Amino acid sequence: MENATKEEYKIQSFDAKTQQLLKTALKDPSSVDLEKVANLIVDQSLKDQVFSKEAGRICFTIVQAEGRQAGSNVFRRNLLNRLQQEYKTREETRSRSVQEWVCYVTFICNIFDYLKVNNMPMMALVNPVYDCLFRLSQPDSLHNEEEVDCLVMQLHRIGDQLEKMNVQRMDELFFLLRDGFFLQNELSSLARLLLLEILEFRASGWRLSDSAQKYYYSEVTD
Amino acid sequence: MPSESGHLKFHCGASRSVAKSKMIVIRQQDKKDASPLSTLHNATTVNVTKEMWKSLSFVQCWPSVIQGAHSKCGSVAARRNPKSDSLPSPDSRRRPPARWSQGRKRGADGKLRQQDDADSTLFDDQEKGSYDNPHLDQRPPSFTTPEAEGPFPRCSDWAKCVEEEELRTDVRKDMQRYRRRILVNEIHDRERKASSGSSDSRDSPVPAELETDERVLMRRQKQINYGKNTIAYNRYIEEVPRHFRQPGIHPRTPNKFKKYSRRSWDQQIRIWRVALHAWDPPEEEGSDLQAIEPIDLDDMEVESGASGSTESETSSHYMKACKAPASTPENSCSGTPNKMRRTENEMESAFDLGACLADTEDGSLWIS
Repeated sequence: MENATKEEYKIQSFDAKTQQLLKTALKDPSSVDLEKVANLIVDQSLKDQVFSKEAGRICFTIVQAEGRQAGSNVFRRNLLNRLQQEYKTREETRSRSVQEWVCYVTFICNIFDYLKVNNMPMMALVNPVYDCLFRLSQPDSLHNEEEVDCLVMQLHRIGDQLEKMNVQRMDELFFLLRDGFFLQNELSSLARLLLLEILEFRASGWRLSDSAQKYYYSEVTD
Repeated sequence: MPSESGHLKFHCGASRSVAKSKMIVIRQQDKKDASPLSTLHNATTVNVTKEMWKSLSFVQCWPSVIQGAHSKCGSVAARRNPKSDSLPSPDSRRRPPARWSQGRKRGADGKLRQQDDADSTLFDDQEKGSYDNPHLDQRPPSFTTPEAEGPFPRCSDWAKCVEEEELRTDVRKDMQRYRRRILVNEIHDRERKASSGSSDSRDSPVPAELETDERVLMRRQKQINYGKNTIAYNRYIEEVPRHFRQPGIHPRTPNKFKKYSRRSWDQQIRIWRVALHAWDPPEEEGSDLQAIEPIDLDDMEVESGASGSTESETSSHYMKACKAPASTPENSCSGTPNKMRRTENEMESAFDLGACLADTEDGSLWIS
């Protein structure tokens, strides 16, 4: 039971005391300092790539639990405030540490994916998420495989949802990606391959055809 | 030339296989990820590729490809060059227009304003806390999608926006459920009348008489939420299941879909919340909340459906009496009914109190 929780929410990287706090927050949110919990989660997401990919799930559970138990939104409010703060300073974050920046984008996209409001994605996050993806599509970021990888991962996970919320911006993003793909000199071959795959992915309606799947992911014997 | 193209294929093929192998390695490293491609963890693999790249004269095949591409799409590239900023510079965009010219078709000289007029109204109604950052300025202030109702303004406070969004979608969901409920009731009413031949004076409200203004509904729902997020309310619903509720004794949540004046509604809410105080948790041990005097409102019942907007002084007087704070719940229980009885003759129909506290046909059954 213990390990199942740890595994499900990927909280192994927290120290034992914090893990306990998180588990309590999941079961009995009113009894903990939810602002503190929100900060802990955001801080960890910016450091830990594994956690940033799945932090949305634990956040969603806490939001639900708090809503049911107390009818309040303290955790969600604090989480979003922190998220917004970090968004405002994202350019500095990127200059300071590309890894932290990549973690942030992964995290905010994960939140967008999991934290639904009445089964709809949060409108408030649509433009900020697009902004982050646009930033990742700039030439300097495209030259960085870490960032390209992050970009395509997010598009795989939430591209179709984002597109539904705002087609126009998705179109614009893909203009940039096409440009990046063939105009940028000295992009690594991996970067170009990733871009090619995502272009095809979207063109096929956010899924990969069987043949494309075979091309990109089958074992190569040349 | 066959040899050239053969050379091309060889190099392309070799490089392709290297990159593809890398993709597959990454995929295997991160199986749980929904996306097949994921973060790079293996720095060594990266280096291998670069080394191999240099050793293969792979670069040779690319220029010809790129040249061709460029010549075909040169004009396109120039047009779509991300470096050149087709959008107005930050400064000119941020400068707000002179007030008088806001929204005006013509300038001061009477001539129609052109689209690129500096005084035009195309200025961002962006968030007030917007930050000056060259990278960020490339984004347009608002976005329209064909499916959406209109441009999405950026919100300055995400948390607040999300809360509002939640309220709005809750209200819309409620509206759909309520409409369905009315339809069902209508059908039942018709069947009943047809079979029994009786006339029923308590018809469901006609959809045309529903409150549909989303802002009003949201405001009302917020007020209801305040009342429901109390310990008293939780204790109340635990103690008295809906089907056990008796009119006049057990408070009923006001129906936000009915047409009421603003004051009428606010009063209903106040009455409801005061009534809920009867279920406040005991402040000290031993205080008995079980003995709640039934609120005798039968004498005060008024016609349901009335929604006049006139208020008399007696109404506010009544409300003041009701609002008298009580130090213990018992006081408010016993005090309120007396006061209500005192002023019963001065009641105005604008209250529609009956709808609030008496049993109405649609009631708040749909309210969970």
